[in-house]
Amino acid sequence: MKKLIAYFRRRLSVRLSLWVVLFAAVIFNASLGFFVWQAREAVHQEAISRATQILDKTSLRVEGILNRVEVATQMTEWLVQRHPDKADSMFVYSRGMLLNNPDFYNCSIAFEPYHFKEKGRYFSAYSLHDGDTIRTIQGGSDHYQYFYMDWYLMTKLLDRPCWTEPYMDYDAPSNSYEMVTSYCQTIKDKEGAMIGVVNTSLSLNWLSKTISETKPYPNSYSIMIGRGGTYFVHPDTAKITRQTIFTQTIDRPDTVLTALGYAMQRGEEGMKRMKIDGVDSYVFYKPLGQTGCSMAIVCPESDIFSGFNRLRHIVWGIMAVGLLLMLFFFIRIITRELRPLGRLAKEAETIASGQFDAQMPDFRRIDEIGQLSHSFADMQQSLVRYIEELKDTTAQKASIESELHIARAIQMAMLPKTFPPFPDCDEVSIYGQLTPAKAVGGDLYDFYIRDGRLFFCIGDVSGKGIPASLVMTVTRALFRTISAHEEKPDRIVTQLSNTISENNEQGMFVTLFVGTIDLDTGHMAYCNAGHNPPLLISRDERSVGLLPVNSNLPAGIMPGWEFVGQEMNIDDGTVIFLYTDGLNEAEDITHRQFGDERMLATAQVTVDSGGLTPCRMVEQMVDAVHTFVGDAEQSDDLTMMAIQYNQKIGADSERSHSITLPNDINTIPQLSQFIDEVAEDASLDASLSMSLNLAIEEAVVNVMQYAYPEGTKGTVTIVSTIAGGMLSFFISDSGKPFDPTAKVEVDTTMSAEERPIGGLGIHLIRQIMDDVAYERKGDKNILTLRKQFK
Amino acid sequence: MHRIVIFIIISLLSVTAYAQDEIVFTPQWTAQAQFAGYYVAEAKGFYREAGLKVRIEHPSVTQPAMSRLRSGECQATTLQLCQALEVVDGGVPLVNILQTSMNNAMVIVSARGKDPLTQKGARVGIWSVGFGQLAICMSIKDHLDYEWVPLAQGVNLFVVGALDATLAMSYNEYYQLVQAGMKMSDKTVYRFCNHGYNVQEDGVYMTRDYYEHHRDEARKFAAASRKGWEWTAQHPEEALDIVMERVEKERIATNRTMQRLMLKEVLRLQVDRESKRREFRLRPDMVRQAARLMKNNMMLEREVTYEELSE
Repeated sequence: MKKLIAYFRRRLSVRLSLWVVLFAAVIFNASLGFFVWQAREAVHQEAISRATQILDKTSLRVEGILNRVEVATQMTEWLVQRHPDKADSMFVYSRGMLLNNPDFYNCSIAFEPYHFKEKGRYFSAYSLHDGDTIRTIQGGSDHYQYFYMDWYLMTKLLDRPCWTEPYMDYDAPSNSYEMVTSYCQTIKDKEGAMIGVVNTSLSLNWLSKTISETKPYPNSYSIMIGRGGTYFVHPDTAKITRQTIFTQTIDRPDTVLTALGYAMQRGEEGMKRMKIDGVDSYVFYKPLGQTGCSMAIVCPESDIFSGFNRLRHIVWGIMAVGLLLMLFFFIRIITRELRPLGRLAKEAETIASGQFDAQMPDFRRIDEIGQLSHSFADMQQSLVRYIEELKDTTAQKASIESELHIARAIQMAMLPKTFPPFPDCDEVSIYGQLTPAKAVGGDLYDFYIRDGRLFFCIGDVSGKGIPASLVMTVTRALFRTISAHEEKPDRIVTQLSNTISENNEQGMFVTLFVGTIDLDTGHMAYCNAGHNPPLLISRDERSVGLLPVNSNLPAGIMPGWEFVGQEMNIDDGTVIFLYTDGLNEAEDITHRQFGDERMLATAQVTVDSGGLTPCRMVEQMVDAVHTFVGDAEQSDDLTMMAIQYNQKIGADSERSHSITLPNDINTIPQLSQFIDEVAEDASLDASLSMSLNLAIEEAVVNVMQYAYPEGTKGTVTIVSTIAGGMLSFFISDSGKPFDPTAKVEVDTTMSAEERPIGGLGIHLIRQIMDDVAYERKGDKNILTLRKQFK
Repeated sequence: MHRIVIFIIISLLSVTAYAQDEIVFTPQWTAQAQFAGYYVAEAKGFYREAGLKVRIEHPSVTQPAMSRLRSGECQATTLQLCQALEVVDGGVPLVNILQTSMNNAMVIVSARGKDPLTQKGARVGIWSVGFGQLAICMSIKDHLDYEWVPLAQGVNLFVVGALDATLAMSYNEYYQLVQAGMKMSDKTVYRFCNHGYNVQEDGVYMTRDYYEHHRDEARKFAAASRKGWEWTAQHPEEALDIVMERVEKERIATNRTMQRLMLKEVLRLQVDRESKRREFRLRPDMVRQAARLMKNNMMLEREVTYEELSE
């Protein structure tokens, strides 16, 4: 069923055809139904008149002979009455009756007991056809006391001539029975006293044949019942005389049959529709003259309507076949008409799959399908054109992108990207990072050292993208050019601003922060041109604040504007954190800004955790801003630069020590000795020396135990540098990548036994050392531990 | 005088009759379920088993079975108790060798929805072979003065309206009337058994003379017949098959439906009202009741006693 429904849903032609045929079927059925109903009525009426005619005809025929019997009997009675005393004449009369009426069965002239004294108790002159001859005998005897018989008594009791109920007449000489019905008439003497009965019988056989002779329909039949309902004519001979019309209703009540029986008994004429032996039939009935019998013609309905039904079936059949043909042709025609749609659908699929040059079929039609086809072809052509254009555009875009890519590379190349930038210069460490929002950005930072002075700048060009990047390039070039001969930041900015503002028809400007640091003294001069004030982070005081700045105007807005510079001395270890508004105005998905508070808090956290370095500062800030922004798209270029000033200590020159040990903890005593040597070189006090020993030993043992797979041999190299009050240890190995700093912070509130293995070591190390950092360089793990000891 | 002549003839014929071994048994009516037990006894071989050679011969519709017994055409016959009393009173001593009926089956059916008891002087059909003694007594007793019309058989005269009422047996004519489409009601049907006339009917009789010479055969015949009836009561449908066979053979115009109803009713009548059993015995009280009724109505010259009928 589901399959069928799915099929109908798939096939428009079948669905359409079915609807059409369904409506046609309804209309045909309605009109044909009406016709059939009318025709059936006509056939019905015809059947009634036909059956009635036959009944009338049969009844007339029967009545004709009955009349003859009646007349002949009356004649005989008249004769007997003339000679009532001549017993032997009665034989002549009875014989004469049969001679004159060969179709009569028998004739009795019977008398009351002892009517003829000389004849005794019984005297009945009885004649009967016996083949071609007529047998005449005296019929009464002890065995046949006729005066008790119905035929004798009926007319006597009713005192009028009458027809008896049919009965089996027994003929003793031939020992045979014949079913007869008799017309009886009393014989009266001159005084009017009843002396006997004339009985003339008709064989029911003959009557039965006459009645059954005419059949209105092939399967119709006639029945005849007597006054007592007894069947005398019936196609089932077993019922004749043995059953009445009511017999079967005794076992199985049948009100219709009972009603028919009563109607026939009452001598009514009519028609009834009923089931006879399970067959729907029409029964037409009519009394038979004065006999008291009633005859009926039973016509099975299937007979009456057989011709009609045949015609009906043919018509229905033609209609069914017609509808089926109609369905077939409709499906064919609609399918053919709709075939272009299928092809169009296929072509559309082909085009959809990317073959835009597929040949569209030309149906040469001007109907809706033709229009659709043309529209489709137009669409295809448009599509091809569009795709071509798109290809060009895409190619152009790719070219632009490629150029942009190059531009980005050029732009990025302009920025210092090697850190530490000045490995030989201990006085300053710098870390910077620029992440453009687009391929190219308008942010810039730069620094270089000239004449023992660090020149640095950070800027943000108005707008984004290529225009901003061009201005950025110009600005950076100007910064380099101007600062090459100019030391004061305010003058650098003023010149730069003047240069930019010349021919600045686009109205582009740049916020800029330019500074210089005297590496020997830590004196910083700076000028701010509308840029965000940098953060001033003191390592020793562990404080974070904003560098006090004059906001001034952004550069390039107003030619001739004199920018005001500022100055300050910075302490050893102080970090200047410069940034563009891409940091503090970074937005998360709900457009909340990262803000100065978060920025300051992040810086505070970094400085509080100890080990303040520019790299760490920038990385912490990057992490914080990335965490805050989440999945939101970067809207602006993000640039950060941190500069840490380390005051030069005159006597302090860098000294280094190194040792390489196998991954065997039995060599730890050698390590202890090595650390003692370093401690001594750095003039550390005993307690710090001991702590240092503990931390380094912990880190080295860690490497020995975990860096190499068990059973393999490896080495661990420890390099120590002492410079500017900073003691650094670089522990390197070639084992598997292993970051001990990534270990979870240990829960020191737990007892030693409860704590998981590991973790405690790194915790101890962090406690002792100021800075712990890990990096994987090539195939080496490098763990850097630093300790400020002055 | 008439009776004496008959007696002499019977006596003479008896001599020849006694010589033969065969018992000819004549039921008092044409073949029907009323005599199912005897057909069964014959068909099932009960008579043969008893060492008897029995032939069942029915009388014609106008010939009383008694006349066959008198003439020696048969040795045993069924008779209604009242008939038997008449015959014995008429000078032919009879012996009841088996009593089957324990109840009276006779009814009067009145036409046109009338109560038979209000039909004074009505023309009432009665069997010409004489089963209507009780009805005659009742007619006299209740001063109904019915005009009795003796007829051979059937209900046609009544059905065609030639009679005002007719006597009927509850197992036979009663159902024929039903079959003829008559509507029966308690009002139109007078049942003798319910009005103090519950006198037994069918029994098997032999002339005392024959009986005296053939006691053994008579007893065997009675026992085998009784066995036939008992089997019939237990196997009514099979018995009906046997009845229908007989009916077909005798060309009786009847049908199975009618015969089934008849058999059921006949078997019901064989159950004694008081003991609720098939007793197969003549009840002295019923003999006395019938004899007195008939004598009082001048139908008997003397009261025939139970002892006279019994073995």
